Amino acid sequence: MAEVQVQEKGGKGGKVRSKKNNPRVDMTPMVDLNFLLLMFFMFTSTFSKPNVMDLGLPGKPKPNDPIPPKTEIKLSNSVSLLLGKNNRIFWHQQDNTSLTDQNLAETSFDREGIRKIIEQAKAGAADKDKFTVIIKPTDDAVYKNFVDILDEMAITKSERYGVTDLKPWEKAIYDKKVGN
Amino acid sequence: MARIKPKRHGVVTDMTAMCDVTFLLLTFFIMTTQFKKPDVEQIKPPSSISEKLLPDASLMTINATPDGKFYFQPVENATERLELLDKMGQKYGVTFDNNQKAAFQRVQTIGVPMNQLRSYLSLSEDEQKNFKSPKGIPMDSTNKQLVDWVEQSLSVNPEYKLAIKGDVTTEYPKVKSLFEGLRDIDFLKFWLITSQEGKPNE
Repeated sequence: MAEVQVQEKGGKGGKVRSKKNNPRVDMTPMVDLNFLLLMFFMFTSTFSKPNVMDLGLPGKPKPNDPIPPKTEIKLSNSVSLLLGKNNRIFWHQQDNTSLTDQNLAETSFDREGIRKIIEQAKAGAADKDKFTVIIKPTDDAVYKNFVDILDEMAITKSERYGVTDLKPWEKAIYDKKVGN
Repeated sequence: MARIKPKRHGVVTDMTAMCDVTFLLLTFFIMTTQFKKPDVEQIKPPSSISEKLLPDASLMTINATPDGKFYFQPVENATERLELLDKMGQKYGVTFDNNQKAAFQRVQTIGVPMNQLRSYLSLSEDEQKNFKSPKGIPMDSTNKQLVDWVEQSLSVNPEYKLAIKGDVTTEYPKVKSLFEGLRDIDFLKFWLITSQEGKPNE
């Protein structure tokens, strides 16, 4: 604490001593203040940076490129996720002939819903290395759904996934399902 | 028997050294802090588990608002901004006077089509801040100005990185058109700005 030098008064006819200044200054409040400011600047500098997520798009085929061989993904080796309106999500493992509004199942964007579906489909896949998730956002989807599902890919460590448009036959079933 | 009194220690600690250290750190953080500039429109990015922070590279940002308007934020570097403006001006046949060029070096984000850019840059800074663009930068199949901004920036300096900041409620077709446009110019790697979310514990 700040020391206050009590000057001794008195002493009859005592010699007048030159005043000795105490060079000690109490630094505690200053340190307090410094720490406070330090905290403030530290937090603002770390929190102002937003998080980012990598996204790589597949390149568009050039007109003079050789046509790549068609890669057919087996139905059992893939799962199609349809991002619909009002944050709804549908999934199926069917092709254009077998897809009906019964087996276009609806699920939810959480651990119990979509993550289970992906994990189940992955477990049931014939060739686990080539298990592919096909993400098909409809025009009713919002950006959040898209980011959520990419996030889900990162969580389930599904490295093979693709984003494409809905096929017309899927669109028809989807429209029926949501009542467009 | 005389009781031995424990020696009383003074509570005074020398704070000078501590004070020095805190000052040092404080100066460091004050120097390195960059305050976030206010956004033109409120955008709430969706959350993700990604823990990667936005790198410090020369960054251009595309903001997509909830109603599907696009804003483009060119890189900070003033001389390269000038080059960019020149290139865009050439492409769209717009010329800028020196005041407008100077304004472009200071501008925060661009949210107007090329034909309105001159009048936008002529506004005072306060007016620019309060200017709410009715349409944003056009981005559709016939008029891809947004992609042109990216392309011209890349032709100024191919090292530029792109970050896209979309709102939770931005409609997907808008984002898709932007992605398709970026694929057209073969610019395939970029970042999506998200907000932090706890990693789910499995």
